[in-house]
Amino acid sequence: MTGGKKIPHFYWRRLCQIFCFVLFSFLFIKTDYSGADEIAYAVNLLFRIDPLLAATASLAARTFITLMLPALFTLLFTFVLGRFFCGWVCPLGALLDGGHRLVPPVGGKDGVYRNTKYYLLAFLLVAAWFGLPAAGYLDPFSILVRGLTLAVYPAFNALNTTFFTFTYQHGPDWLNSMTEPVYAFLKYTILPFDQKYYDLALLSLFILISVILLERVERRFFCRNLCPLGAMLAVTARFSLLRGIGGSKCGKCRNCREVCRMGAIDEERKISRSDCNLCLDCVAVCPGRKISFAFAGRSEARTPFNLSRRALVSAIGAGVILPFFLKGRSMAVNPDPFLIRPPGALPEDEFLGRCVRCGECMKVCIGNGLQPTFFEAGIEGLFSPKLRGRTGYCEFNCTLCGQVCPTGAIRKLALQEKQRTRIGHAWFDKNRCLPYASGIPCIVCEEHCPTPEKAIKFREAVVLDDNGTEVVLKQPYLVDSLCIGCGICETKCPLPGASAVRVTSAGESRDPDSIIPTTGGTGYLGG
Amino acid sequence: MDRREFLRQISLWSAGITLGVPGFRITGEAVAAERPEAVVSQATGKDYVALVTKVLDPLGGMGKFVRPGDKVVIKPNIGWDRNPEQAANTHPLIVKTLVEQALAAGAGEIKVFDRTCNEERRCYVNSGIKDALDRIKDKKVTYFHPDPRKFIPVDIKRGKAVSRLEIYKDALEADTYINVPIAKHHGLSRLTMGIKNSMGVLGGRRGNMHHDLGQKLADLATVIRPKLTVIDATRILLRNGPQGGDLDDVKVLDTLIASADPVAADAYTTTLFDLIPEDIESTVAAYKMGLGEMNLDAIRIISA
Repeated sequence: MTGGKKIPHFYWRRLCQIFCFVLFSFLFIKTDYSGADEIAYAVNLLFRIDPLLAATASLAARTFITLMLPALFTLLFTFVLGRFFCGWVCPLGALLDGGHRLVPPVGGKDGVYRNTKYYLLAFLLVAAWFGLPAAGYLDPFSILVRGLTLAVYPAFNALNTTFFTFTYQHGPDWLNSMTEPVYAFLKYTILPFDQKYYDLALLSLFILISVILLERVERRFFCRNLCPLGAMLAVTARFSLLRGIGGSKCGKCRNCREVCRMGAIDEERKISRSDCNLCLDCVAVCPGRKISFAFAGRSEARTPFNLSRRALVSAIGAGVILPFFLKGRSMAVNPDPFLIRPPGALPEDEFLGRCVRCGECMKVCIGNGLQPTFFEAGIEGLFSPKLRGRTGYCEFNCTLCGQVCPTGAIRKLALQEKQRTRIGHAWFDKNRCLPYASGIPCIVCEEHCPTPEKAIKFREAVVLDDNGTEVVLKQPYLVDSLCIGCGICETKCPLPGASAVRVTSAGESRDPDSIIPTTGGTGYLGG
Repeated sequence: MDRREFLRQISLWSAGITLGVPGFRITGEAVAAERPEAVVSQATGKDYVALVTKVLDPLGGMGKFVRPGDKVVIKPNIGWDRNPEQAANTHPLIVKTLVEQALAAGAGEIKVFDRTCNEERRCYVNSGIKDALDRIKDKKVTYFHPDPRKFIPVDIKRGKAVSRLEIYKDALEADTYINVPIAKHHGLSRLTMGIKNSMGVLGGRRGNMHHDLGQKLADLATVIRPKLTVIDATRILLRNGPQGGDLDDVKVLDTLIASADPVAADAYTTTLFDLIPEDIESTVAAYKMGLGEMNLDAIRIISA
């Protein structure tokens, strides 16, 4: 190696970041129906190696979630290598590093908010146990994948489609002969199969953009100061075997301090194991080649934590107390009737505890039915999935959402079980439904009802239409015991505006109290 | 068009500016002129490959309908996420055999598609049609999911219930359009057959078709005029149509029906369900518009 030029260490880091980002993007794109009913790739891998989500979801579930076992390996590696994950693997970190030239820091104070992430971590862990699931709002992967799923990817598709529609419809043939193959290639590779529409698209974009814009304050602001996953890795990295060795007997240049994206090097050029993400830039800029990374003995003193006891106690206290404010809201006894959870969703409290708001289920939902919840499930339910029947429906033969959920908040159901799982119940609004309200034939709902014996049937009736003429037509009605609440009737109802048939959560399988009365008699007075 | 106009158009198009999507005109009179003979061929057999040949023979074989170099569209029913046994979609082997025969007749290109009701990819896969067509290794054959950009507004000049519909470009441009529905129960229209199957080339909000469905289908049939209709009755769905799902609702008949007359094909197929052609609104409406023959007495039925 002496003769040739040695590749600087940080090139390897960049290469690894690019590789991880490409791998992540690949898995993101593959979070889709592939022609087989089973998803072949571990598309939810990113969330399963996330120890923050593993910890909070497991605390909420009061059991170790075995699906998230891979997260333990992340901690194990962190114990050996330090906080390498943030510098080498994390796709959000790679995005921040890759884009930092676009949002250069304006400079300013250093390290003022550094401990915030530890307080947040403490709060999230305690609150998860006591019933306030909030990790998904701050977890870097959740922020990233949600932002991409709900906002960036649909916008990317709309942009491409608009452009290629324009060239197709308005361009001459010679142009189309060039653009159409490009469009076909993009469709085949990176574009989604079709245009998807999401609630909260702009909110999730805003959150993602905010994380990026914080780079203006200081480099890796989110990672240094806010990221609770970073905090968890930092706590582990304090004990790491590998660490950077700087030292104060090196002169006065301070190049390493200036280049350090994590602000991990102090005035004495000591490198904090908790903060250093092993980007290796300091190694490259050190004129004296004094900085190295090595597996050191344990004698080396750890940098002090410097947490404020008062702030930490406050964070924990908030984690204990705040969840109880959730219990006193009216929605605790009367949940939103239009909050329809995906098939296989656990009972609501457990579901919210485990759901990490990653958006994987919404990404994979081929009917575009799953949408992020706003405040229908309370402030703690933000971004959790619900079926919005007017936008899309739950495909009868599809079980993908349960397959991609990284925490089991949506259980993986066998097809037959899924087809018997009731997520809600459809109701007709006879004031709007055409065959009832206007004497106009329709029953598109009946046509699409997917249960082998249709839950929507029809009766022939003689009614007066708007002109007072007697007409014979078919009026739909619901057979309560057959409806599974998939919502295709609501999606396909050809009425403009709101559907004349709407699904509510009534009758949902996961709630034993949610029983729809039948003429057979299940009332309290019935024998 | 004079030179000035020509140059103006060229410059506008090259700059990517035009006032609207080019429409597609179909003169009703021209198509009404070529009214086919009311001959229906029906054949029964377990070997579906042989059955296709058998049912087409009395009509003159595939070569009668597909000329060398033709752009051919074969339009099966791939509407539902159901497997072939459930009798909601056209049998994949029938589709494949028709494609192969059209190839053998010298077709220049063959396109197979449907605008599905359930998720597109699932329908193509679960119906078995994707797999069947993948086995044909010929670049002239393509199947695809309709591209939303390619639905063209068409004025339905002779329409009584609709005046304009968005129709898929490839269906309009085909030299030979072969309609390959499956015969099955349908709540609103009682039966789904050939004329109903044409809804698969429609864009836009198809739900609106269901208000006065029979007449609207007949209106559509004035512009979508298959040269050949092959109705798959190898197994028919008796109840819970058009998608079924329960094998108890399926009856195996091992039968194919073929005709150049779309109305006659539907009229005869109706009898397989113990109904009469008058029971089906779209048949009656299409007959009244002069699109074909529905009186069984006036139809020459050949059992091949």
